[in-house]
Amino acid sequence: MRTPISLLQSFGHSRRAAGLRPSPGLRLAAHRGLVAIPVLFGVTLLTFFVLDLLPGSAARQLLGADATPEQVAALEVRLGLNRPARERYLHWLTGAVTGDLGKSIASNQPVTALVAERLPVTVELVALAFALSLALSVPAALFAAHRPNRLVDRLTMLLSMGGLSMPSYVLAPVLVLIFSVNLTLFPSIGFKPPSAGVLENLHSLVLPTVAIALPLLCFYTRFLRGDVVEQMNGEDYVVTAVAKGIGPWRVLVRHALRNSLFGLLTLVGLNFGALIGGTVIVERIFALPGLGQLLLQAINTRDAPIVQAIVLLLAVVTVLANLCVDLLYAALDPRIRYGDR
Amino acid sequence: MAIDSTAETLKLATLPAPSRPRRHPLRWACSADIAVPLAMLSIILAGLLLPALYAMPEPVGGNILDADQPLLSPGHLLGTDANGNDILSRLLHGGRTSLLIAITVNLFGLLAGGSLGAMSAYLGGVADTIIMRVLDVLIAFPSLILVLAIARALEPGALDTIWALTFFSVPAFARIARAATLRLREQPFMVAAGLSGTGTWRVLARHIAPNIFPQLATFGLLGIGIAINIEGAVSFLGLGIPLPQPSWGNMIYQGQMTLSARPSLVLLPGMLLFVTVLSFNLLSEALRARWARQ
Amino acid sequence: MSDATEQIAVPPPRDRAHERAPASREVHSSAASAPLLEVRDLRVRFHQADRCIAAVDGLSYPLCAGKTLAIIGESGSGKTVSCRALMGLLPQTASVTGSVLLEGMPLLALKESEWRRQRGRKIAMVFQDAARSLNPTMRVGQQITEAIRQHQGVDAAKARARAIDLLDLLRVPDPQQRFLAYPHELSGGMRQRVMIAIAVSGNPQVLISDEATRSLDAITQAETLKLLQDLQRQFGMALIMTSHDLKLASHIADDVLVMYAGRAVERVPRGHLFSRARMRYTRALLDASPHIERPPHTPFPVVPGQPPDLAALPPGCAFEPRCASARELCKLSRPPLEEHERGHWWACWHPCQDSELV
Repeated sequence: MRTPISLLQSFGHSRRAAGLRPSPGLRLAAHRGLVAIPVLFGVTLLTFFVLDLLPGSAARQLLGADATPEQVAALEVRLGLNRPARERYLHWLTGAVTGDLGKSIASNQPVTALVAERLPVTVELVALAFALSLALSVPAALFAAHRPNRLVDRLTMLLSMGGLSMPSYVLAPVLVLIFSVNLTLFPSIGFKPPSAGVLENLHSLVLPTVAIALPLLCFYTRFLRGDVVEQMNGEDYVVTAVAKGIGPWRVLVRHALRNSLFGLLTLVGLNFGALIGGTVIVERIFALPGLGQLLLQAINTRDAPIVQAIVLLLAVVTVLANLCVDLLYAALDPRIRYGDR
Repeated sequence: MAIDSTAETLKLATLPAPSRPRRHPLRWACSADIAVPLAMLSIILAGLLLPALYAMPEPVGGNILDADQPLLSPGHLLGTDANGNDILSRLLHGGRTSLLIAITVNLFGLLAGGSLGAMSAYLGGVADTIIMRVLDVLIAFPSLILVLAIARALEPGALDTIWALTFFSVPAFARIARAATLRLREQPFMVAAGLSGTGTWRVLARHIAPNIFPQLATFGLLGIGIAINIEGAVSFLGLGIPLPQPSWGNMIYQGQMTLSARPSLVLLPGMLLFVTVLSFNLLSEALRARWARQ
Repeated sequence: MSDATEQIAVPPPRDRAHERAPASREVHSSAASAPLLEVRDLRVRFHQADRCIAAVDGLSYPLCAGKTLAIIGESGSGKTVSCRALMGLLPQTASVTGSVLLEGMPLLALKESEWRRQRGRKIAMVFQDAARSLNPTMRVGQQITEAIRQHQGVDAAKARARAIDLLDLLRVPDPQQRFLAYPHELSGGMRQRVMIAIAVSGNPQVLISDEATRSLDAITQAETLKLLQDLQRQFGMALIMTSHDLKLASHIADDVLVMYAGRAVERVPRGHLFSRARMRYTRALLDASPHIERPPHTPFPVVPGQPPDLAALPPGCAFEPRCASARELCKLSRPPLEEHERGHWWACWHPCQDSELV
């Protein structure tokens, strides 16, 4: 699944070929930042109109199934839902740009506050999952790549494939069964905020983190192993390194891994945004008060402002993550930093 | 530690080869990495067809008095759920639904998205840029959310789930087709075809399509696994296939509530789903490796 | 593999002090009794799915300390593969037979861990394309110090000083700055010097230069060759250089070994190369290379045909299908590499006669 990475890299190459400029990496990042704005615009527009076009009404949701059409219409006027779509969108957009994301239709609370309340939980979960998966995938990939196509390698790859194939709503119950029900090591539901104690907090997040981290870990291991083996087999500088008489592990880590980490970085960046939105199921299963739960509720009750705010947030995070990756590339990859000659 | 001086082997490989005896065309299927997942899939598919051939209890409308029968009960091989429905039957019917949805979504995505991407890359210019921007927006979109939103809004059911999933399958295929076509465009034989004045459609059909098909197909297999997972997720959240009609996803959702009491209600559909997706992934991987070697 | 008549003559250890060419060079007092490096009947085979490629098919030569051997051949002649065999850099799929003795120690039987002690320290290699042969994300200085610390076990500061000295020795301008550079910031010639610095950092006894100047322009090529020569003298190394360019080889080599289809077909001292090359293939190579005296607009004497398929070598002489002077015997029996004149070996049933020599 290397297409996104190679697309990114080829984009970078064509940029560089266009000419030598000072810090071309930053220019690239700036360019991508600019391109991102219409994308963000497009995303919010799309969300708005899709939500609008879908049948069902927030007002009806609020009032319940046996509300009369007059009552629904009256509520809609009060909530401003009867104005034309374009007007509503522009109203929202101007608000959003200035930081006011509107009020929840269901609870009438400011959206920003609601989102801010839920965000840290999700972010903590995702951050922990990333950290865990990266920490484990690098050594796993190295062990597999050390002797390619031998037992350790094949076993690792097979296991990773298995881990990838298991969706979170299958994995989580299994984890709960083993660790919660049978071994009673970890809680099956519930979240304890850091204010209740860091250890408590982490303890309540162990199973959810593993549920998210496992597929990530497998994905990264497969990718890294493939990239490292490709480097070791196909790149001339590896032969030079071996010809110096240095040992296989050193060649693997100091030379091949160094170059492969760039690809991994891109992958992590691409994943980040997707992941924040993808915690819905895990949050549901483990009853964590995170962004995913909020989103689900909002979708169910047709609470458009919340949905839009969250979608915007996710899109921004994705764009920012990609930008960060580009910047990191610019900082780390000497070819981009100084430009090719 | 083995060093494969690929440059050397490549050099040697370009020397004139003696004529080889024709291999049996299906021999490639016999190697383990393809045969094993293929076998697993065949078993699963055969199992899913079972209800059509062999009389089984219906997946819905079970007798409440029959509820909660354990495994290996008479008449119910895998027991019954809380409503008295036969689990085996639900598994098989649910699998059919999930698989049908997944295959339809990917088939459509391959055809529509693949053509779109290939055309976009081949034609280039303004059309290409516009299409790419639109695809960017779609891909930047947190997919699950939109799927959920659409699923929630529409009458839940198979058709609408398909519709929702295609929304994301098409751009993914289009992206891949586009990248593959771009790479293909640089090849000498493509330049030659262009120079000789071959019509656009002919080029697309004769030259591009067969060459990008392997990549699209391997992604398609992967995509079936992804689609099964997402459909399961949507059903799990109560927004996909509506109960009592079974789908692996909503069976897991149902079983969640009695997880410790009756784990098999979650584990059986879960494992079946896992094995199916795994087989598709393994197959996709094996084919990709095979085609990459060529 | 080629079960045909195995008639490779193993060169007996004897005095290699042969006639020297008019262009004078330092003659080492140790005009070797025993050669530093001795390759005997080296064979390298690659086993693919349904065939076996004989990349090197019975190669033998001695190399004395301080001497330079040029191995000339087309692509696929086996010169690079044989050099990699000397370094133990061939993949596991290659089966290597024969013997290679470095100071009397057999190399081919070494385990990988033992190879690590030899590589860079006793025998080192300069690779062809420095742009690809250097790690693009590592500063060149670090790549040199890595080699130094591997061989000499000194600390970072000393290694850095030595690396800068090496760069200075290799006439890299402003070595302190260059030390911190990344490979893509250097020109082709500079990169090649870095490669050479890496190779000689362990003070090897044998240095192999595998078409090291191929990707360079003519002037840089000449400079690099001169550098190699100077280094060789300074460190007292034996040098093996491979090339497809006869002219180039003749400039710095003491002996020239011509390979074809994995076999050595002629070994000639430098002075005799142009005037007295006997083997038909060598002759053809010489004739095919452009030179200034050739009258303009005359057709090029190109050798017809293709190099043979290394998986299906004929029983006789490998060059026979393309040779204008081939006879029946050439098809049937492989000519042995024998010393027909003093210091001059060739493998040909019908070599060029004196009358044919220019």
